[in-house]
This record gives sequence, C-alpha cells and structure tokens, in this order.
Amino acid sequence: MKDKATGTALSDATVSITGSATRTKTNAQGEFTIKVAQKGAVLSISYIGMKTVTYTVNNAGPVSIELESSSTTLEDVVVNVGYGTQKKSVVTGSISRVSAKDLANIPNGRVEQSLQGRVAGVTIAQNSGQPGTPSTILIRGVTTFGGGNNPLWVVDGIVVDAGGIGYLNQSDIESIEVLKDATSAAIYGTRAATGVIMVTTKKGKAGALTVNYNGFYGSSSPAKMLHLLNATQYATLLNERSVAGGGNVLFNNVGSLGLGTDWQKAIFNNDARRYSHEVSLSGGNDKSTFYLSFGTQDQQGIVATEISNFTKQNIRLNATHKISKVFTLGQTLGYTHAKSIGIGNTNSEFGGPLSSAINLDPITKLVITDPLVAAGAPYSVNPVIRDANGNPYGISTIVGQEMTNPLAYIQTRLGQYNWSDDMIGNAFLEANITNDIKFKSTIGGKLAFWGYQGFTPVNFLSATNSLLKNNYTKSNNNTLNWNVENTITYNKKVNDHSFSVLLGQGAYMENNGGGSSVAMLDLPINSYKDASFNFDISQANRTSGTYDFTQHKLTSLFGRVNYNYQEKYLFTGIYRRDGSSRFGANNKFGMFPSFSAGWVANKEGFWKQNSIVNTLKVRGGYGVVGNDAIRDFGYLSTVAGGLNYTMGNAGVITTGYAPTTLDNPDLRWEETTQANFGFDAQILNDFSLTVDLFNKKTTGILRPIAIPGYVGVTSAPVANVADMENKGVEVELGYRKRIGEFNFSANGNFAYLKNQVTYVASDTRFINGDAAFQSMGPVTRTEVGQSYNSFYGFQSAGIFQNAAEIANNKNGAGGLIQPTAKPGDFRWVDTDGDGSITDKDKTYLGSSLPKYTFGLTLNADYKGFDVMVFAQGAAGNKIFQGLRRLDIGTANWQTRALSRWTGDGTSTTYPRLTSADDNGNFGKMSDFYLEDGNYLRLKVVQIGYTLPVKMLKKIGGTKLRVYATGENLLTLTNYTGYDPEIGGGVFGIDKGVYPQAKSFILGIQLQF
Amino acid sequence: MKKIQINNLLVAVALILSLGACKKEFVDVSPKGQFLTANYYADATQAYGGLVGVYDAIRKNSGGFENMITMMNAGSDDHFAGGGGATDGAGIQAFSNHTLTALNVPGSFWSDHYQGIFRANTLLQKLPTTTMDATLKARFAAESKALRALYYFNLVRMFKNIPLITEPVSAASMYKVKQTTSDSVYAQIEKDLNEAIATLPTTVSVTTEAGRFTKGAAKALLGKVLLFENKGALAAAQLADVNGATPGSASSYGYKLLSNFSDLWVTNNKFNSESILEVGHSSAGNSDWGWWGSGRDEGNTVNVMVGPRSYSTPAGSPAPGLPSGWSFNVFTQNFYDAIKGDPRFAATVFDLKALKAAGQADYIDGYQNTGYFLNKFLPRNADIRTGGGSQELNFKQDTYVIRLADTYLMEAEALGGTGARAQALLDAVRARVGLASTPVSLAAIKAERRLELAGEGHRFFDLVRWNEAAAKLASRGFVAGRDEIFPIPYSELQGTLLVQNPKYN
Repeated sequence: MKDKATGTALSDATVSITGSATRTKTNAQGEFTIKVAQKGAVLSISYIGMKTVTYTVNNAGPVSIELESSSTTLEDVVVNVGYGTQKKSVVTGSISRVSAKDLANIPNGRVEQSLQGRVAGVTIAQNSGQPGTPSTILIRGVTTFGGGNNPLWVVDGIVVDAGGIGYLNQSDIESIEVLKDATSAAIYGTRAATGVIMVTTKKGKAGALTVNYNGFYGSSSPAKMLHLLNATQYATLLNERSVAGGGNVLFNNVGSLGLGTDWQKAIFNNDARRYSHEVSLSGGNDKSTFYLSFGTQDQQGIVATEISNFTKQNIRLNATHKISKVFTLGQTLGYTHAKSIGIGNTNSEFGGPLSSAINLDPITKLVITDPLVAAGAPYSVNPVIRDANGNPYGISTIVGQEMTNPLAYIQTRLGQYNWSDDMIGNAFLEANITNDIKFKSTIGGKLAFWGYQGFTPVNFLSATNSLLKNNYTKSNNNTLNWNVENTITYNKKVNDHSFSVLLGQGAYMENNGGGSSVAMLDLPINSYKDASFNFDISQANRTSGTYDFTQHKLTSLFGRVNYNYQEKYLFTGIYRRDGSSRFGANNKFGMFPSFSAGWVANKEGFWKQNSIVNTLKVRGGYGVVGNDAIRDFGYLSTVAGGLNYTMGNAGVITTGYAPTTLDNPDLRWEETTQANFGFDAQILNDFSLTVDLFNKKTTGILRPIAIPGYVGVTSAPVANVADMENKGVEVELGYRKRIGEFNFSANGNFAYLKNQVTYVASDTRFINGDAAFQSMGPVTRTEVGQSYNSFYGFQSAGIFQNAAEIANNKNGAGGLIQPTAKPGDFRWVDTDGDGSITDKDKTYLGSSLPKYTFGLTLNADYKGFDVMVFAQGAAGNKIFQGLRRLDIGTANWQTRALSRWTGDGTSTTYPRLTSADDNGNFGKMSDFYLEDGNYLRLKVVQIGYTLPVKMLKKIGGTKLRVYATGENLLTLTNYTGYDPEIGGGVFGIDKGVYPQAKSFILGIQLQF
Repeated sequence: MKKIQINNLLVAVALILSLGACKKEFVDVSPKGQFLTANYYADATQAYGGLVGVYDAIRKNSGGFENMITMMNAGSDDHFAGGGGATDGAGIQAFSNHTLTALNVPGSFWSDHYQGIFRANTLLQKLPTTTMDATLKARFAAESKALRALYYFNLVRMFKNIPLITEPVSAASMYKVKQTTSDSVYAQIEKDLNEAIATLPTTVSVTTEAGRFTKGAAKALLGKVLLFENKGALAAAQLADVNGATPGSASSYGYKLLSNFSDLWVTNNKFNSESILEVGHSSAGNSDWGWWGSGRDEGNTVNVMVGPRSYSTPAGSPAPGLPSGWSFNVFTQNFYDAIKGDPRFAATVFDLKALKAAGQADYIDGYQNTGYFLNKFLPRNADIRTGGGSQELNFKQDTYVIRLADTYLMEAEALGGTGARAQALLDAVRARVGLASTPVSLAAIKAERRLELAGEGHRFFDLVRWNEAAAKLASRGFVAGRDEIFPIPYSELQGTLLVQNPKYN
C-alpha cells in the first residue's frame, strides 16, 4: 500500500472486508494479508488523512493499492459521544479526542497525564511527584466551590470515581474523548457539570493474532535543587537577625562552620529506577474477538526513595461474541493491583522529608560520629534512630518543631504502604432488533479493595516528635459500586434526512461498602521486618475502628435526538432527568436539557472549492448540566455523636450528641449552563483548525453558608448560594505534511480562561479560601468580581531605605502611616486610605488559576527514524511560595536571602532580617510570598528507530522499534521553588511540593 | 414488517420507562449511625448523650489552640503571648498587644460558647417530652442551666454586648437576632444558676460523675458572677456557703485547701478537695490534628502550648526531663520580680533562663522569650500519651475553672477587703504556703490573687473588674473604653442585626 503522491509505504492503514468484522492493518512496509471467503469480496482501505478506497478481490495474490490524500480529515474520525458514536464531521458539541496513537510509548504513570497539554481547555496539574499520585484536572476551569471539581470518568460506559482511575493501563486505551461543553456532556446530566472524560479500551479485531510487547527502563533524577544557605552563610544571617531583634550574637566564629550539612542531597536520589512491561494479545474471527493484556510497572521516587515507590500489575480481558444475527454479547474486565509507598507529609509546612530538608539548619550534623556527643543528651537517654553503623542521626537544637532529620524519619516509615485491588468491568447484551433498532443492556461494576499497612517503631526524632510504644496498623476498605443501563437506538435515513434517536435508563450505586482498621501497640519487636499481627498482644494494646460508607444512588432517564440533512444542517437535542440520594424530597430530581446545531458550509451548492478554506463547519449550542458532588444529607438536620466529654477521674470519655446543623429541605441542584460556539476548518490543505468560545455559568452553587456563630451549630448547612462564570477561548491547530519519505505533523493547542465569581449571598461578603499557611491563616479568598480562590493579602510598595522615608510616609492627618516601621521594612500600601495599616488594607494579589494553558506536539519520521517532541505549559497564575516555615525563625533560607536589605539602597524587594518582625515583613500574607507561575516545559522528547521488516523475518515479527525518551528535560520558569506545576484543591500552593523528576528512558516495542 | 418494527420499538420504550419509574424509592437513602433531630432525646440514654454534648463545650477552658487559659493569660500583664513568632496565633498575639480587630479576634471564643448554649437550649426544649425518671430529668435540666450560665458568663465578660438566646434559633429567624444589654444577660445567668442550685446534687460519684455540676460548684459560680456584677454582699453570701464557716477547714460541701500547693498541678490529682469546678481531659481520645479543638478532642492543649521549644538536658543534669512545646504564655519580667521570693515561685515559674545559664538545660527561644515558663501547666514526660494520636494533643492534665483558694479570695474581696472573716480567708490562703498573716485590704487581696492564681486565666478579668486594666496594661497598648472587651467577630456582623462594640469600628 502506497501514498499515491509520494509513493511512500503506508503503515497502520486499516483493511476490512465490507459486510464482515474481519479487518487487519498494514505493517511498517505497507504490506497486509487478508483472507476472504469468496471472490468478489470488497475490501475497504482507510487511513487517516487519506480518502477511503474500496477494492474488489477477484483473484488471490498480491495487489497494489494507492491512496490519495483526502481534503478532509474529519470524515473518517468517529468519536464516542456517550451511549454511541458519531462521525466527527457531524458532531455539533465540543469534544476533543486523544487516540492511542498519540499516547503510544509515552511513559505516563497515570492516565490523567496522557491528557496534559493535549486538549485545549483541560487544565491538568500534578499534585505531587510521588509516583502514582493523581493529578488535578479542571475542564474549562473551576465549576463549583470546594471539592467536586473532578470531571466524570466513564470507562467503557462505567462511571469510575476520579480517585480510582489510576487502575487503567495506558497501552490498553484505544481513545479518550473529553466532552467539554454542556451540549455534549448533558447526556451524563447530573454529574457532567465538570465535564466528562470517556475512555474506551482496546477491543480485539477479527483476523490474525496480534501480539504486542512494549517495555522500557529508565532512570530519574531531580530536575532542580533549591539553592539553600550553607552553614557559614546561615550563621551569619541568623546572627544578623538576632541582633536586629535585640538579641545576642548566636555564633561567634561563623567561618569555622564551613559548608555544613546539605539536607537536600541527603534525601534526593539521582538514580531512581523505573520500568514497565506490557504485553497484549488480540485477535478473533467472525464470531468472537478478544483483547488480552498484562502489564507491570515499578517506579521509584526521587525523594527518599526507600519510602517512595509505586508498583502496579494489571490484567485486562475484553471480548465480544456474535451469538446470532440479532444478539451480540460483550464484556470488558480489568484487574489491577497497586502498591504505593509514600513519604508521608508533603507540601506541608508541618514537617516531612522535603519540608525538613528545606528548613533544617545546615549546622546540625547528618549523623553524629563524635562519641562524646553521642554519649550525651538527647542521644544517650532517648530511643533515637541510628544509622547502619550504630551512630545516631543528628537532632537539631536550632530548628525544632516538626522539622526532623529526614534520614531518621525515613527509618521510622520503612515498610509502610498503601495498597489497592480494583476489579472493574462490564457486560453488555446488544440486540439488533431490526436494521434500524438496536437495544443495549449493560451492567457494570467496580469492586475495589484498598487499605494501608505499616509498622512504626519506638522512636525519638526530636523533643516534639517521639513515640513511646510501637504500633502496627492495618486498614481495609471495600466498595462494590455498580450501574445498570438500558438504551435503545433508532437510526433512520430517509432520502436526505438522517436521524437517530436514543432513549435510555440507568441506575447507579456508589460508596456501597465500608472499612475497618486495627492497630496493635507495643509489639515485642523493633523492626518492621518482624511485625506480625500474630503476636499475643493484650486487649488494652489493641484498638480498632469500623465504619460504613454512605451510599450514593442515582436513577436516570435520558434521551438524545440527532438529525442532519445531507450532513449539511446538523441538530442534536439531549434531555436527561436524574434523581439523587443527596437531595431532599422537595428537589430529588433534576432536569438537564441541551441542544446544539451545526452547519457544514462547504457542502452548500454555493461553496466554491478553494485551496484556502477547504472545509468549514460552524456549530453552537446551549445546555444545562448538574452537580451532586456534595455531602450526604445536606438537606437534613441530624443528631451526631463526637461531642464528647471526659467524665469521672479515670479519663473515661463519654460520647455526647447534638444536632449538627439546621436543615434545608429545599436544597436543590446546582446548575451549570453553558453556551458554546465554535468551528472546525481545514485550511490550506494541510492545516486543521478548531476554535471554541464558551461561557459557562454555574448558578446555585452548593456551599456551606456562613451562618452566625450565635446559632450554635457545629457545621454550617449547605445552601444554593453562589454563582460563578468561566469564559474562554480554545484553539486547536494541526498541521500535517508529507514530503517524499519525510512525514511531519504538528499539533498545538491553546486555551484562555477567565474565571469570575458573580454572586455570593448576603450572609457573607467573601468566603475565606481553602488554602491557609500556618499562622497567617487563609491566604486566598473568594469574592464577587474576583476569580475563585484569589490570593489575598497586603501589597508592598518597596522597602523603607532610611528613617526619613518612614517619617515622610504620612497620612492626610499628618500622622505616620507606619509609626513602628524601621528602615529595611516593607512599605505597605494603605489601600483603604484610612491613614494606617490594618487588616482592611488587604487586597487581591492575583489568581491561583492559570489563565492560559498550552501544548505543542511535533512528530516527524523519515524512513525508519521518528522523532517526537512534546511541550506544555501554563501562564497567568501566581504561586504562593511558602517553603520557609513561618514560626521557626531559625529555619534555613534560600540564597536569595543573601540579597536582603542591610542598609540604605541595598534592596528594594527583600526586607531586613529581624527576630522581632513587628512590621510583619514575613509574618503578613503579602505579595512578597507570591511569584509568577508561568512555565513552559519540554515534557517529552523521543527518538525512535523501526527496523526493516526483512530483519525480523527470522523471528516472525512484524515490527521492532527501539526508542529513547527524555522526560521533563527542561522547564522554563522564573519560579524559585522546585516545580511550578502544583495541583491540588487550590492550585499553586507550595509548601514543599514533591517535584517532578527528570527521566531518561530506553524502550523497545515488538509486534508479532 | 413496518408494524412489527414499531411495536418492538414501543415495547422497548415502555420497558425503559417502567424500569425508570419503579426506581423512585431507590434514591431514598436514610442516614445511619446518626439520628434525625426530630426523633432524638426520646429516653434517658439519649438525653444523657445530649447532656454530655452540653458539657463538651466546657473544654474551651483548656482544649484547642484557642483556649480560655492561654488567651486570657496573653492579654494580662503577667504574660506575653509568646509562641514561635509575632504571627504565631494572630488572635492571641493581637490580644497580647491589644490590637484585636473584628477580623483577627478568634471567632471560636464566641461560637464555641454559643455551641454549648445551643446544645443546652435544645436539651431544655426536648426534655419535657423525654421518657425518663423525673428526678434525673430535673437534674439534667439543672446541669444544662448551670452550664448555659457558665457559657454566658464567659461570653458577657469577653464580648459584653451579646445576643441572649434561650431556645434554639431556626433557620428562618437566625438573621433577626439582636444583642441585648449585659444586665439582662447577667439576670438570665443568675436565674439559671438559682434554678440549678435548687436541684443539683451536693456530691457526685468521683469515679463516674466527677466534673458534673454540683450545688457547691453552681454556688461558687453564682458568687463569682455576683462579684463581677459588683453585688458584694450577695456574692459574699453565696461564697461563704462554699467556703465554709472556718477558712482552712473542710466546708459543708467537703471543700478544703490542699496542704501542698504544688499538688494542685499533679496530673493524677484530679478532682481533689480544693477543686470546685474542673475541666476534664484525657489521652484516651487519641486526638489528632484533623479534629484538634473539636468535640472529639479530649486533650489538654495548654500543656503543649506553654512548653519550651526543643527542650533538652545534658547528661546528669538536675533539670527535669520535659517534652517540648510551643513557648506560649511566658511570664513577664515584672511578674517574675513579684513572685521571686514567694513560696509558690517554683510551682508557678519554670526558670529555664537560670537552668540554661547554668548549662543544665537547653531550648530554642520562642517569640518574646523571657525564659520563664508556666510551670503549673508544663507538659510532663509521664503524661506523654501511650496510645494513638498525636503526642502534642493528648496531654491529660485537668484544669480548674474555680478552685477553693479562688473562692476564698473572692469572698474576701466581696466583703470589701475588711473584717475578721476577710482576714481569716486571706490568712488561710497564705498559711497553706507557709506565709505569715498580713493585714487584710483590697490591695493585699489583689496581690495575693495575682500570685496564687497566676497563669490560670483570671488576671485579665480581675484587672478589668478592679478598673486597673488601663493602668497596668498601658505599656501593652491597652486603650481604655475599648480593650476591656473583645470586638464582635466579623462573621457575626455579616447579614445580621448585630452592632460592633465601641471603638472597634
């Protein structure tokens, strides 16, 4: 098979026999073999970017087929629209698609990362560089307050909770569709407000057995280390800080301290290994097809590798059987076992290895080797942790609280892990009642088990962190979530009128399960290796807890009508009615309608074929979707325990009860309406362009209302009392060119998003943000006119260089605005103009949400060689850089503290150091803590070589490709922390986030 | 053919609709492991659960980061806020230098007390229909009223202009509540206490009921309330009943000063003869950061707050071994000078400054460090939890809301600081620590209160009652006519009819 224009062999073209399920693909040399039942069979050959051709087989033997470049790429692509598929060319909503081809060989740990930078309007940020950690995903921005912003994941028609999506194996994915606008997402009504991500796993194809192997091995290292002060610099600054605050010189001979301890070096690993092996088999015949795969992966973390690791094993079987002319039976089933070892506290100002390494003084020794010191307190009298040589790990006497020697900390967490077993699958029965009517009944389920197991030895990490009795803890949780869906589809084409009607019904059960945990204390052992629950431990040293989850149930009816006239005028209408257990009787059910229309201009008679705009489809729509991701029983006033008190002199606790909140039987659905307008075009033959404009409004946001404290309830009732809107533009631009044997393609995407809160009820003028930094309290705030969770604090206007500047900083009445300020302190902006600096001067300092997100993928191949470059980034947001602990004045500094203010004219950005920070230079939340979060990251660079097929003949292979991948090789940013990509409930809060690794990987791909 | 098709279609549609229709009950999920408010308080067990919920709020005295003891200490002339830095606990720091505003005042001092009041109001509203023994029911009601009085007493002293709510507020009326005069709040407190005193038992079982309100505790509280109302004679009458005929000997309620002052601070010495109203703490709650300061947290937080940071002792040091803390509530030099020669010095002040100078202990300076730590509440090695939860949050020392030495001195003060009875009361407090008699006077009583009750959260309220706050706290930024009370928290003013306290706007 060849390209007619260039004569290049076309690999991966699909060859199928018309009227049969048999199909095959061409190999790297463009060759294929297919067995036909009789003469006259018609082969259909399709290839993306080429016109589909048919070939009638008259004789056995080699044939030569040439394909012509197609003027449109949209024609062939079929997208999953939920409960069915549609040709991309007639889709009227905003749906983005990522196919298996785009994901092949990219070493993503989790499926969410497959989407990062590939789909315009989908913001994805990793929460942590800890292997196996989920990312935060926002489709078209923040939809609602609080949690509940996760998109709905639907895998092969089964709704899977966002946290549980990690079970998917990347090689098993055939395609991912993102339903971005309400007009397409409305088919999932209730839970579609945050967008829907539909994953389709690979299915077997009739024809020869295909075996694929893909494996890689790599090494990771930190992409960046912080520049922290060495011991001499640190002591110098600490002296200066102490003296400025009226204290003594703390270190007399700072030079003798040398460089001191590099805590970062102690915890970072420059050679953290990772590997992955995936094998799949697929094939079948006219009656049955199957896809079977196995995978295993192991990834070490770059921070404290002994306690940072992720392993996963999975198996999948997808099969389809044609029972009769009418009935088809199918099933998908995936099982995954994962084990994750985590470093504990991350992105927290309260300890953990990263925060400790950043904050600990460089003077304290990593390990105490001086026997005199080791023989003294605290080492001699406490169960301190020791290294392999029996020397105690150093305990700082300068930086205390939760900051502990990370190497000692690691020793206390060895052998602790989280595990999960997920079995997710569905079975469906499809009946083609007539040629036009299809009935499908699906039952899906997710059986999940997960928990924790770990031993913590007796330890003394510091005077504030010690454990006198060891403990061995185990927890088990399980859920059996299921759903049943029945749909009926009617497709009809009458002359130029095509229509398709879908009617469906569904019932869904989630959070159906519970869990328990047990802990045994005081085991007669010291090492995790010896831990066992078989020790005979007295009842007094056993604790246990058991709990049920609250079931979440939904019942739904839905329908969709698609109509088109000559594939020129397009219309789609969707209606869904959902009932949710989370709402009271007054508003149990919610209705979610949507409609959209499109116009394919180039199919009009008056359209003149031209080489500038080849095709053009204009589309627009409006829809309503809902969100029930709120707490259970928000509409009810219940009496709950937990208001306990200790009665009597024996320390016995009695459980107390009281109503937790006031009831709100009128609690109703939060509604997200969205208008979308866009077009898809093919330009200058080689470019494809998709542009979408949207306006998404969420009304009646469910949030806890700030009820007055004098009411006296412990938790605030939820009510529908806030509105928010997201407006944006999304552009996806593709380019594809073939010059001789050289193929090149580029795909770029760009999105702009503006988020604004438009209403909060009169109970409060603002809502304190979800992010807080220690004693500063909340650092973000939500208020009408601002974007959700905007940073909020004092604004600085330079530094007072001398006493005269302070004396001249007067208010209208002639008084000093900052009477207690000293040279070297920040000049705060008196935003309310009342002549003094008070909390009322706090103002909005920027958004935590990126305004711009973008991605670019470049692909090129020539003969056997291929190159892929993928970059992505975000811009327009601020990051809260809170790496230095606030209440530990003696915590170490980053080297930028060396450029602090030390006298007139020395600095205008970094204030003086003093232990009496009366001006709140460091203690106040201000723009001092905020940095630009813009970044552009070279995420993946991959170079591959595919061997000529001749060389594989001996082993019977059809394809062998070797490749080298570099991951996160370069990040362009001005941000001073480890990593500007920081997800989480509130984006961009950095208290020591686990940074992403830089990796080098070698891989091999083999096909039989 | 066509007909068959359509029939099939109709059958399928009907099937789908019927499947959907029969599932209406499917989405009704009722709460489990909790009760509907409408059905609760049905019997004695449930009423007792409700009563425990009312008691729960009394832990505000010493539980949670925002607790009465460390907060009120910080605002007095005896202590600094301390902590790790100038912003460690914005509210406690602001009170310490008298820069409280509606935005930085910790709202929990307001809302936690109102939570206790809400629970008392709910129980009092539900009790009439509860099926239970009438005597027990009357006792539960009396305890609820006494606790409600205590919570209102704290509120009216801290915020003065507060709403007086004596039955649960509904969602419909919650924004229509108004403040009332402090006089009517005091009138309600007196009414509640007088009604409680009539019913409360004289003694309770120490092992199972200690900590619950008794007649003596309610009388002591009423005496204190009356003293704050400047009703000296009435206060003295109530307190005389509590203190007994002969100061120094056991009163009719069994109250008697401990012979050894330092025994008051021994953790295991709970509910001793000097204790009148005591807040119970336990390490059995396995408290953790996730619910610190909430209803499930049974630990004493004062302990860890007042401990020195990163404390250590060299081998062979005579200094005690202590778990470390956060360095709050260090004593001022002024207080140190006042108590230096007093027999109560060692039990009150942990002089780490001296120990460090002698090389016998080391620690990291906190904010406003003086080296003088609050020994009465220091965390002890013996008190480190052996169960689960966080070490910092599971200390178990009880704290006194009212103890006998306090009521002795209050009665003497209520008597105007003159007379033989007042002299005998003062002498008894001094004699217990081996001090000779000194002529009674208001000044002598005030000096005694400062040293005897140091660090227990009384000093600021005492200064305000004596009209001495402005003078004693001038150097700390105290503004007369404003800083005697807290500002109303900002959130209470949003959408409500509440008015801010004077000079706080």
